[in-house]
Amino acid sequence: MKKNNRQAFLNRWKETTDIPVQTVGPFTPYYKEVTKQLKVMPIPVLITVSIIIVGFLIYVFGSSITKVVSLLQRGF
Amino acid sequence: MSDQAVIVLYSFTRNIIGLVIRPYETYRRIVNHGSRWELVPLSIIIGSYLGIASLVKVAAFRPYILTKQFVVLGIAVVITYGLVVGLLWMVGKIVGGKGEVKILALGWAYTLIPTTFWFLATSLLYMLLPPPRTTHPLGIIFSVLFLLFSSVLFFWKIILSYLTLRFSMRLDLFRISIVFCIVIPIVALYSIWMYRLGIFKIPFV
Repeated sequence: MKKNNRQAFLNRWKETTDIPVQTVGPFTPYYKEVTKQLKVMPIPVLITVSIIIVGFLIYVFGSSITKVVSLLQRGF
Repeated sequence: MSDQAVIVLYSFTRNIIGLVIRPYETYRRIVNHGSRWELVPLSIIIGSYLGIASLVKVAAFRPYILTKQFVVLGIAVVITYGLVVGLLWMVGKIVGGKGEVKILALGWAYTLIPTTFWFLATSLLYMLLPPPRTTHPLGIIFSVLFLLFSSVLFFWKIILSYLTLRFSMRLDLFRISIVFCIVIPIVALYSIWMYRLGIFKIPFV
């Protein structure tokens, strides 16, 4: 049992260290903070970002966004 | 054989749920333990979409034209998938990526989930609420919701694309950005060509 746990831990460790750690210089803490939000259940974050983007689009284009949607709806 | 089919179906369903809830861990699992057989249920889902899209595009029950439309769309999807995987593989290798092309192909196949979901939803909405949208309050509300839906799927797609290159080619953020900067313009040109051929107005990438 102890050996199995050790092996499982070693396998997990190998998996985790398989890819190099990502750093982005002085922005590394910010990068880690953003990716932490996206690694588990990113949908709420994506919805929030999308609301901001769509809000901005409405602010800029007003009711003309319906034209963009009409184009997208024909896009398939 | 049937046991293997059940296992593949179970893994595929688990991965789909995982891509929503824990995309990072799920991609690690796909890359390390994924099987090419998982492409089968994915192909069936995409094939179903292509069937619906053919029906909506042709808008008539004429078997010959429907079959032709289905085959054209199917070939276009396969060629686009092959082109994108090939480009990502070549550029990824040039910038120092490691790994196997079959793992990259499997990882990229899973990024087609948000794509297929968007195309399927759009084609169904096209039947239920055909464009053009008006500036009536209900039209604007629908437009906002549609844009939100499209935007969420688009960002989800970006995350999955990033994770594909991160895990299957072991690239870092800088190299992944280089790969995308090279591949996206080529795919954009290809998309214009597809648009001119009248196959896809928005590329099935």
